[in-house]
Amino acid sequence: MLVHSRKGRAASWLVFAVLFVPLFAVPLLVIVAASFSTNWSGALPSGPTTEHYAAAVRGESLRALTTSLATAAAASLLALTLGTWAALTAASLRGRGRRLLDALFVLPLAVPSVVVGLAVLVAFSRPPLLLNGTRWIVILAHTVLVTAFAHQSVSAAIRRLDPMYEQAAAGLGARPSYVLFRVKLPLLLPSLGAAAGLCFALSMGELSATMMLYPPDWTPLPVLVFTATDRGSLFTGSALAVVLMATTLLVLLAVSRIRTRASYR
Amino acid sequence: MASARAAAPPVVTAAGRPRRRTAPTWAWALPPVAVLGLVFLYPLGLVVQESLAPGAYADVLASASFRDALVTTVWLAVGATVGCLVLGFVLALIVAFVPFPGAKAVSRFIDVFLSFPSFLITLALLFVYGTVGMANGLWTGATGAAEGPFRFLTTPWGVLLAEITYFTPFVMRPLLAAFSQLDTAQLEVASSLGARPARIVRKVILPEALPALAAGGSLVLVMCLNEFGIVLFTGAKGVTTLPMLVYSKAILESDYAAACVVAVVNVVISVGLYAVYRVVSRRAGA
Amino acid sequence: MTSGIRFDGVSVAYGDTTVLDALTLTVEPGEVMALLGPSGSGKTTALRTVAGFVQPSAGRVYIGGRDVTDLPPYKRGIGMVVQQYALFPHLRVDENVAFGLKARKHPKAEIPARVAEALEMTGMGAYARRHPRELSGGQQQRVAIARALAIRPDVLLLDEPLSALDAQLRSGMLAELARLHRELPDVSVLYVTHDQVEALTLADRIAVMDRARLQDCGTPQELYRRPRTEFTASFVGNANLLPVRVGADGVDFAGAALKVPVGDASPGAAATLCVRPHLVGLGEGPNALRGRIAEVQWRGATHRLYVDVDGHRVKADVRELRDTPPLGSEVTLHFAPEDAVLLGSGVGDGTAPGVNDG
Repeated sequence: MLVHSRKGRAASWLVFAVLFVPLFAVPLLVIVAASFSTNWSGALPSGPTTEHYAAAVRGESLRALTTSLATAAAASLLALTLGTWAALTAASLRGRGRRLLDALFVLPLAVPSVVVGLAVLVAFSRPPLLLNGTRWIVILAHTVLVTAFAHQSVSAAIRRLDPMYEQAAAGLGARPSYVLFRVKLPLLLPSLGAAAGLCFALSMGELSATMMLYPPDWTPLPVLVFTATDRGSLFTGSALAVVLMATTLLVLLAVSRIRTRASYR
Repeated sequence: MASARAAAPPVVTAAGRPRRRTAPTWAWALPPVAVLGLVFLYPLGLVVQESLAPGAYADVLASASFRDALVTTVWLAVGATVGCLVLGFVLALIVAFVPFPGAKAVSRFIDVFLSFPSFLITLALLFVYGTVGMANGLWTGATGAAEGPFRFLTTPWGVLLAEITYFTPFVMRPLLAAFSQLDTAQLEVASSLGARPARIVRKVILPEALPALAAGGSLVLVMCLNEFGIVLFTGAKGVTTLPMLVYSKAILESDYAAACVVAVVNVVISVGLYAVYRVVSRRAGA
Repeated sequence: MTSGIRFDGVSVAYGDTTVLDALTLTVEPGEVMALLGPSGSGKTTALRTVAGFVQPSAGRVYIGGRDVTDLPPYKRGIGMVVQQYALFPHLRVDENVAFGLKARKHPKAEIPARVAEALEMTGMGAYARRHPRELSGGQQQRVAIARALAIRPDVLLLDEPLSALDAQLRSGMLAELARLHRELPDVSVLYVTHDQVEALTLADRIAVMDRARLQDCGTPQELYRRPRTEFTASFVGNANLLPVRVGADGVDFAGAALKVPVGDASPGAAATLCVRPHLVGLGEGPNALRGRIAEVQWRGATHRLYVDVDGHRVKADVRELRDTPPLGSEVTLHFAPEDAVLLGSGVGDGTAPGVNDG
């Protein structure tokens, strides 16, 4: 406790509320409120309606939602596999090899998503791999973008993993592959779940690279939110955004439930 | 038979030990590296190659739009980073050291906030400060004027506000982690010795928080340099950043050579800064 | 009999730091060998070269006559128990114990019986279906021992197995380990510890380590009664180490002639005389030393007296005194000639550890 007087505490909380509420709480509330409205020209929105949600769960919007879910699921699984593989390998390497591998897999974090989109577009619009115009180019770009996050969080988990478990297993006669599948991966399972959730959330909200790549028949939800907003349908866009947030939260919640059950300590 | 010599000469084995693990481990690194190479490094290489088209660099670097975008990007990123650092420090300080009921919920809210896409903030700000939004609505309702005074949303200030809002949690998270490791006994001793809160913050908390601040700040700087969604949603003609320029050159003008040049510049700046971030955060133990 | 461990000039170095210097030592089949030393003495490193977690920079390691230096840990057939138990938190107790058997592709049908046997042996049979997190520290350690024994290793490595337990549990487990070894007389045990009581209680022989080197090796009785170096004398038990000069049939200490066996020490040489504090008596007697009381500590059953004898501090542990002598008063100490051990200056490598006041 830093501030001991009652007045001082009240003052600090007031400062917190004044900063926190308008900056962080209001925006999210505003989007939710707008999604149920038809008009907003005063202090509060008006014309309550659920029409936007009705539109958001059918036709084009529904397709966009399933597109986003499929993209995010595919990209997170691929990224998790790739990132975990690289992180496990890096952990068993020493010195320069390990640093190089880590740096390589962290690099996509530093490269702007738009540039990743441009690079993927340039590379896969030409033979030998002509993916432009297909859904695969979107999934591929999302995978590139979230692999770095998967690798980062799995690496951190491996660093936290006490080497004594691995050594105890090896001492008992378990060969490396047995140690990996029976000891290391089970112990890493909670962290792998967390990494998968993170990748999923990031992919669900990805807009930058997607804007450069999406084909007409594979339009993820964020793109739809943008096009709606861009043509002035702010309230429809809000409903779509709420659907996007809710879906992301639901998936994260489900993942964390599985994680709690899978964590042993 | 039971030999125990205290000073036996070291026996050096003649046969060099085969480094039995090194070779296979390297082989395991190849598949992920190959995949990454195909989907990321090779495309990035093509971007660099494309940018080397004759005259591309000269044209782009000489153009006013590029220089404007560069200046806008840098000052927005620096401004947003400073804003995030100040705001994040104050908020994290209160959450950590002047706890209130619901402080835990706030830190959970921050985690959730991080998992939402950035453009949602701009969308929300449209309702709060947009031409027909909450703030202007209040103004016109109160004064009877035809239009409200808030029209900064389509200026760089709108982008700055959105970026500070969105990226502040990225500073708060490492800070809260650092604060949770701070020994509260230290604070109690300091305040029992008569130090006032401001002094404790300056002399005890701030030095402890510096590594986390540096790490969080440089991460936010890089992310601001690369931010696209917020700028795109603002839809302002006057605000063009480097990522926005890449997008418009490539998609709207189909000028790939120019887009690649801008992309290379952007990558050089952010990768350079990111390398600094890694060094800083490793030193900070983050 | 083919078990047993042999270190043949084993050195381990990290960069310029040598953490184990040319260790040569044999653990006989069925023997309990304690590696005793302070932290940083290289004892754990020595154990880890046997397990295969540390590669020696020189020398060879043999288990049961087989050179295992280049074998990975999982091919060495050892049982190992470490300080933090290292039970797999995601597996039940019985699954933990079965781990080694499954990893070695032991016939499936035999595994349950072997697991039950190992758990029975450590008294943990009733806990087979629990998870490690549901057990106390002592119970976890028993499971860790059962897990190591289930594979019926020829060699058991124990790395400070009791130091995470509290004092009471520790003495109970010590008796338990002694019983286990009586039940498994063929298993060679390498027992790393910094606790002399554990080493004296359990070991057939003790190897004393300090500063990456083997200092001394022998049975507990030998090391306690006839230490060969100052380090051993002060680390195994407590010791007065008095600087003396060798005379004809005794030594000179602080101007007094003391009658002690000098063996083949050459007259006139500088040496160190080791006398255990509990063998020093208060009052007149043979080998009398006169000095002033510097400090008195009451330890329940005994009194520890610190006496300044001509600038040297001599410790004496005497039966509890009814009337403690006042500080500064003059007293006489004595000890029997056969209770003193002369440590030649050439023995050991001149280590002069801080006086052990334990």
